Amino acid sequence: MEWWVILAVGLTLLLAAFMTGAPIFVAFLLINIAGVLILLGQPGFGLVANSIFETTNIAALSAVPLFILMGELLFRSGSIDILFDSVDKLVGKVKGRQYVLCIALSTIFGALSGAAMGVAAMMARTLFPGMLDRGYDPRMSTGAILAGASLAPIIPPSVLVIIIGTLANVSIAGLLIAGILPGLMLSGMFLVYTLTRVRMNPKLANEDASTSTGVVTLKEKVFAVLRVSPFALIIFCVMGFILLGVATPSESAATGVLGALATAAYYRKLNLKMFTESLASAAFITSMILVIMASSKMFSQLLAFTGSTRELTNVVAGLDLSAYVMLFIMMLIPFILCMFIDQIALMLVVIPIYQPLIKSLEFDPIWFWLLMLLNVTVGGITPPFGYTIFAFKGATNRVTLQQVFSATWPFVLIFLVGMLVIASFPPIATFLPGLL
Amino acid sequence: MVRALLWLHDKLTDVGFQLGKLCLAIILFAYSFEVISRYFFSAPTWWADEAVSYSLCIGCFLMMPHVTREKGHVAVTFLIDLLPARKAKVAYWFIYLMCFVACALATWINLDENIRQVVKDVHMMKVKPFPKYYISVFLTFGFGMSAIHFLRFLDYRKLDIENKGEDFG
Repeated sequence: MEWWVILAVGLTLLLAAFMTGAPIFVAFLLINIAGVLILLGQPGFGLVANSIFETTNIAALSAVPLFILMGELLFRSGSIDILFDSVDKLVGKVKGRQYVLCIALSTIFGALSGAAMGVAAMMARTLFPGMLDRGYDPRMSTGAILAGASLAPIIPPSVLVIIIGTLANVSIAGLLIAGILPGLMLSGMFLVYTLTRVRMNPKLANEDASTSTGVVTLKEKVFAVLRVSPFALIIFCVMGFILLGVATPSESAATGVLGALATAAYYRKLNLKMFTESLASAAFITSMILVIMASSKMFSQLLAFTGSTRELTNVVAGLDLSAYVMLFIMMLIPFILCMFIDQIALMLVVIPIYQPLIKSLEFDPIWFWLLMLLNVTVGGITPPFGYTIFAFKGATNRVTLQQVFSATWPFVLIFLVGMLVIASFPPIATFLPGLL
Repeated sequence: MVRALLWLHDKLTDVGFQLGKLCLAIILFAYSFEVISRYFFSAPTWWADEAVSYSLCIGCFLMMPHVTREKGHVAVTFLIDLLPARKAKVAYWFIYLMCFVACALATWINLDENIRQVVKDVHMMKVKPFPKYYISVFLTFGFGMSAIHFLRFLDYRKLDIENKGEDFG
């Protein structure tokens, strides 16, 4: 059978299996078992068992549960509330201050949490009602929260980075650190956008003077900074340890968890019940993710076995297209697919196919996979299928799903502009990893 | 008899859930100990990486039946959510059947591999070699227990479609 027939049939069947509504790991398992049976026969089943075993035995993947645990501890202990109050005091009197507060908080949460869903749900429960009560525009508020939450997978720690780094065999430490500047840049772009919109249309932040925070003295501001200083310890334990070369990403994730425990203890919010609940939640999410990864591994091995990925690389290398056109096509496909399928499932399909291509196109791996990270992250807020959207909607009923869908597009556009900027100026992504 | 087996299945799922949490605690302890030992006492451990990778694998599959019971597996359900309730119920029955078949096949494949590892005395090539099936047997446990949960979901009378949008998270 021709390689392109195998590739086309394999991908079509896999996407069709996803669309049936079956769990993603089941779709991968069925396609892989059928593929092995057709290509290798029953003796090949041992390969399926070993591919599952090998995938879940990678120590580097332990950063996934540890980063999730870190966020869970901070959210469940209520330590985040202190950060919330302090940042609220530090944001001055500015028209549209709730948008500023939202984006500032999201950026800090991005450095403390590794997944967008948790941040989106938390902001929907805490900040969002206050924004609406103060007369802020529901669409703009929704968009700002969803976009802000999407900074979490970009700014380290990041669960998605661990998965991409493991699958693409690229430096996880480098990819984690590479997200810092783009994350801050996007945060700045969201801020400029929201404030410009408010300036053009003050009704978007129709704040009633009676509901705004009173005058905050310099003493109160200094106290607010001191009060949140323990959070700096967590950020240092993760980013600092990686940058200084003191610990691997997984080890820094563990020290980040210790930092989160110390922070919760400092605020007198640490207890055994909260700790075990956090463990349960992190272990649950990790099992869900790793079972998908383990079940999917054989798919890429089958593509390699049939020679499909090699032949595709040869064909692409033979095309007379510029690198930028190729980059555009390689980013467009996941962008469209992410509107309909799960981000992790998409990466599991796309990364093994893209990996040899980026070598033949001579792209910088950190730069390319960071762009991919931004691409799949924005997939979380592109309708109709986006986990960040669902997490937000699940935590509030004060906006309809249609309103949420329409709210995200301006911010999706900002994300795309951000990606264009990073594609044009690679040092934004590669400068910090170059220091490692 | 059937009720007793179902009770046992639920208890085993609960035990897996508790041990899954313990595995994560071991991962946290192992890497924290490694960092402290290496940088404060210049004494890196030989066991931290191995303890972490085994705990990750074991914990993942011990937790899997609980994830299945709670319908926590990720799925793309937006097409099925468009169906009217009765058709959705039928669709979910077929999805659960598909899940049962996939997990039962995976259980059989892993069990076959476990037996091969025992017969051929396959060892893990690590600092301290030990039989591979000590770890790989948890894959069989995870898929097998999940297969039984999917089988239990096939009871059409109890099929929950009230929260069909929340199925599989």
